[in-house]
Amino acid sequence: MLSYTRQTEWIDRRGLILWIAFYTGGLGGGLYLVSVFFNSLWGMFISWLIIAVIKGGAHLLYLGKPQRFWRIVSRPQSSWLARGFIFVILFVIFGAVQLMISYWLPGTAAEVAFKVLTGISALAVAVYTGFVLNTVKAVPFWNSSLLPLLFVLCGVLGGFGISVIMALNGGNIDLAAAEAGSRWLLIANALLIAIYLWRAAKRETTGKQSVMEQIRGSNAPIFWMGIVIMGIIIPLVIAFTGYAVAELPSALLVFGVACEVVGGLALRYCVLKAGAYSPLVARAE
Amino acid sequence: MRWGMVVDLRKCVRCYACIAACRIEHFLPIDVSWPRLVAMETGGEHPTVSTYSVRCNQCHDAPCVEVCPTGATQLRDDGIVYVDQDKCVGCRYCVIACPYQNRTFVSKDKDKGFFPGKVQTDFEKAGKELYPHTHGTTEKCNFCLERIDAGLAKGLKPGIDREATPACVNTCPAQALTFGDLDDPDSEVSRLIRENQGFQLHPEYNTDPSVYFIDGKIGTSGEAPTARPEKEAALT
Repeated sequence: MLSYTRQTEWIDRRGLILWIAFYTGGLGGGLYLVSVFFNSLWGMFISWLIIAVIKGGAHLLYLGKPQRFWRIVSRPQSSWLARGFIFVILFVIFGAVQLMISYWLPGTAAEVAFKVLTGISALAVAVYTGFVLNTVKAVPFWNSSLLPLLFVLCGVLGGFGISVIMALNGGNIDLAAAEAGSRWLLIANALLIAIYLWRAAKRETTGKQSVMEQIRGSNAPIFWMGIVIMGIIIPLVIAFTGYAVAELPSALLVFGVACEVVGGLALRYCVLKAGAYSPLVARAE
Repeated sequence: MRWGMVVDLRKCVRCYACIAACRIEHFLPIDVSWPRLVAMETGGEHPTVSTYSVRCNQCHDAPCVEVCPTGATQLRDDGIVYVDQDKCVGCRYCVIACPYQNRTFVSKDKDKGFFPGKVQTDFEKAGKELYPHTHGTTEKCNFCLERIDAGLAKGLKPGIDREATPACVNTCPAQALTFGDLDDPDSEVSRLIRENQGFQLHPEYNTDPSVYFIDGKIGTSGEAPTARPEKEAALT
């Protein structure tokens, strides 16, 4: 209370479930958008499963009163959590209809319409967790307009990663295009993380404290190993080696994608873990 | 009408009576405390101890009300922010959003009983009947709204008549806590704030708390307190 107090509810103990839910929301939404780009029905189906089963299930598991989950839609006018819940429901409904139409009635106008609707919902699912956090004024580290963008970019990056694996397994995806997408997004993601931390460090002393916690504090091993080395450097090295050598062993590509997933998980973990409140007792102006 | 409280830090003697009174009034589970006492040292060579008796600030622009996805947390017309336990889903967004960290998620871990594994005390049994706490939901101080509502129904005046006044205010032996209507310029709370330069915690968040503090130094002298976290455990 007298020094910086880290938030614990959304990352410690059962909070870890929410960490998974936040990550899978971004990953599922990103994968759907990438799958629509490649017109991969399998990709769309997997993204639907990720959001409907893993993300939805994790949220329900985390709630103190899961049987009352339907009440969450009550206040979309002010609560990003309520909006997010509505986005997830819309994605699950539109996605299910779109998958059925794409399977049984491909090429119809209805398919295009539902792909657009599901795509918008997928983007909303990927982006809303960023808004859930950035509207918390009490935690300066989260109070950034870059956070939703960072979460979406990270989700789309994960989507490209999974599409690379699907391409290797004979999915209807252009491997070279998926690799190129990963490459550019990795660079953009790395830049955005750097800008985010730089700006957070300038946001009150508590924001700086959170950044220090990432770089030199107890979060440092996860930040450097998870985000920087596994999430950025290794995938970048593999991506640019593939660009230079033309063809890489499948195992190396899969390893690169696994590193990307670990990086995405580490990013969400560090963001949640480093969220800290200013000391309660402060001098009034 | 807007109910508010003034905490006079100069008078607080760190007796914990407010915390005990709240615990008894609301039959709080063993690991749940709505008000808390935060003690800190200020000054350098010859530090003095300041104590902050903190509780939910009943903010007029409460972030917890804004983020609650179910409408379980609501702001009443009289300025009291309360939680409807029957609507709360336990998402803990309000716990995260509160800049003052004054909300508690009640889980089984925090309600193990006074003597875990043993027979419940009569006090605990009475609590389950009179003031049940729902596991899996969020709680916080509500200015003893039951006392206020019941008192008003009887024509009593909160802050003046004990029966209509929050338990912590009634109990404080040093009279460091004062309760009343912030909208009434003639009320005791308004007078104390006006005459003693009462201040709110973290005004920069624009939450407009209904709890004001009076301190001979902080908020008036311009001197920033020097926090000594290592002393916190010993003092609080």
